Amino acid sequence: MVENSLFAKPRDLFVDVVNAKDYIQIDSVSHMYQSLKNSVEKPLKMILLYGKPGTGKSMLLHKLHYDLSKHQKVFMIGTPIVEEEDFLRVLAQQIFGHSPRDGISLNRFLDIAQALTLPDVPIVLLDEAQLYSSSLMEKIRLISDARAVKFVITLHKTDKEDIIAKEHFQTRIWESFELKNATAEELKVYVQKKLLKANCFDVANMFNDKNMKLITAFTRGNYRETNKLLFALFSLYCWYEENHPAAIKYNALKPKWVEMAAIHTGLIRA
Amino acid sequence: MLNIHDLERRWLRYKIKHYFPYFIGGTLILLAFAGMMGWFATSAGTSASSQEADNTHKQESMPADHTTMQTDRTILEPSMRFVEAFQKNAPVVQTSSAPVLTPKPAITTLPPPKMLQMPDPAQSHSVASATNPDKSLSINRNESKTDIEELQIRFKETSNANLGLFIAKYHYDRGNYAEAYNYALKTNSINSRIDESWILFSKSLVKLGRTEQAKKTLQLYYQQSNSEAAKALLNSIEHGTFK
Ligand SMILES: Nc1ncnc2c1ncn2[C@@H]1O[C@H](COP(=O)(O)OP(=O)(O)OP(=O)(O)O)[C@@H](O)[C@H]1O
Ligand SMILES: [Mg+2]
Repeated sequence: MVENSLFAKPRDLFVDVVNAKDYIQIDSVSHMYQSLKNSVEKPLKMILLYGKPGTGKSMLLHKLHYDLSKHQKVFMIGTPIVEEEDFLRVLAQQIFGHSPRDGISLNRFLDIAQALTLPDVPIVLLDEAQLYSSSLMEKIRLISDARAVKFVITLHKTDKEDIIAKEHFQTRIWESFELKNATAEELKVYVQKKLLKANCFDVANMFNDKNMKLITAFTRGNYRETNKLLFALFSLYCWYEENHPAAIKYNALKPKWVEMAAIHTGLIRA
Repeated sequence: MLNIHDLERRWLRYKIKHYFPYFIGGTLILLAFAGMMGWFATSAGTSASSQEADNTHKQESMPADHTTMQTDRTILEPSMRFVEAFQKNAPVVQTSSAPVLTPKPAITTLPPPKMLQMPDPAQSHSVASATNPDKSLSINRNESKTDIEELQIRFKETSNANLGLFIAKYHYDRGNYAEAYNYALKTNSINSRIDESWILFSKSLVKLGRTEQAKKTLQLYYQQSNSEAAKALLNSIEHGTFK
């Protein structure tokens, strides 16, 4: 490895992980985040966050968890607990401080909730709700209907399936937010802020509107795809840095290398 | 892991596939054009033989037609050579970004890629900044504003030249040329060897109506650095093509 590699740090910034501390304010997203926070304060029963894979749902949920937990009781289930009894047991444990040894039934759960009179309805965040069975979703609906828990859930939006039409959500008092892919401009903000936050100023300067358009064309503005592409791109730069440094241009990204990274990540076929 | 050589090969295949339709299109146009000229030439030839009086004139005009045909051919040639170069597995690393730019210059008369290097980003920037304001909401602008203010504070604290350049670019893209000038100036005083910063500094000067000072700056900088980009910008300012 090259000592003091310029591109190793940027590369590692684009590893696809979700951490609330890495949250970046992108105009449209933070606008939505503000409405999401307002909704949590309203007497709604359920809040739904949906959108295509890689549009930042988990990120927004983690951010919400991070911010809310400073002031109130909030519990997050990042990895779905698909067994119904386990789900209810973990929930009872985490929000009511009850620790039954075995799984509990829905009625038992609602009894516990009623016996305890909490000042506020506890908030539970469920990521990846598309992985729950419909019978468990039905129970989640009943729990929120009884105002025992207020749920904020995220769902993949699969291509054909219209989530809004799903029966669980039809009759409920709930609010929904759709996350979308970024525009070229938003993606530029995302990339540059990420780099600037990590003090990679020189690399941030290599991104201009032109190469951002190219990147957006390949990733369609999807954050996860962009992470993958840029990880590959900076890996390429690391390689050249070590093997052929004269080929590197420091004032702008090389379109050719962006294309090569897109080939490597399967965004273009060649 | 990355296999660069394999990637380079696949990239080449991708480019050939990508430009193949253009190549075919270009060839068809060329053929159609040649055909038309041929038809024109023969019809001119027949009329020439029937009109004895104007014979010499017509014969003079015929070669003239041929030369225009030839010049047209040479204009189209670069794009063909470009594709051929790909087929022959031309050295890839060295040609790097140039092939991406060549197919279009085939039609225009300004082919040298060096010219394209500098002015291009500026053009795309100014286009973007012209369209931006309508799209973004006022709330958004406030947020971006706090971001840039934070960056400016960080610049004050760190005196990082790359950050200074970033801020200068940010302002230039938004038409705040005085601020762009200001930050490029600061950046130059921290590190006087960043091409882009001098370029941005001079471009801001032109935008601020101080063209003479811009030219002088670029001349001085070029003497010191031999920067091609500075030279290119100086040329375009002198020829009035800089916008
Ligand atoms: N606002 C943001 N700030 C920082 N990073 C973000 C932001 N939005 C998205 N990302 C990045 O995009 C990646 C994908 O986002 P995320 O995992 O939240 O997508 P998702 O919508 O939950 O996808 P899936 O439906 O597959 O679960 C994250 O790893 C993160 O790095
Ligand atoms: Mg997710």
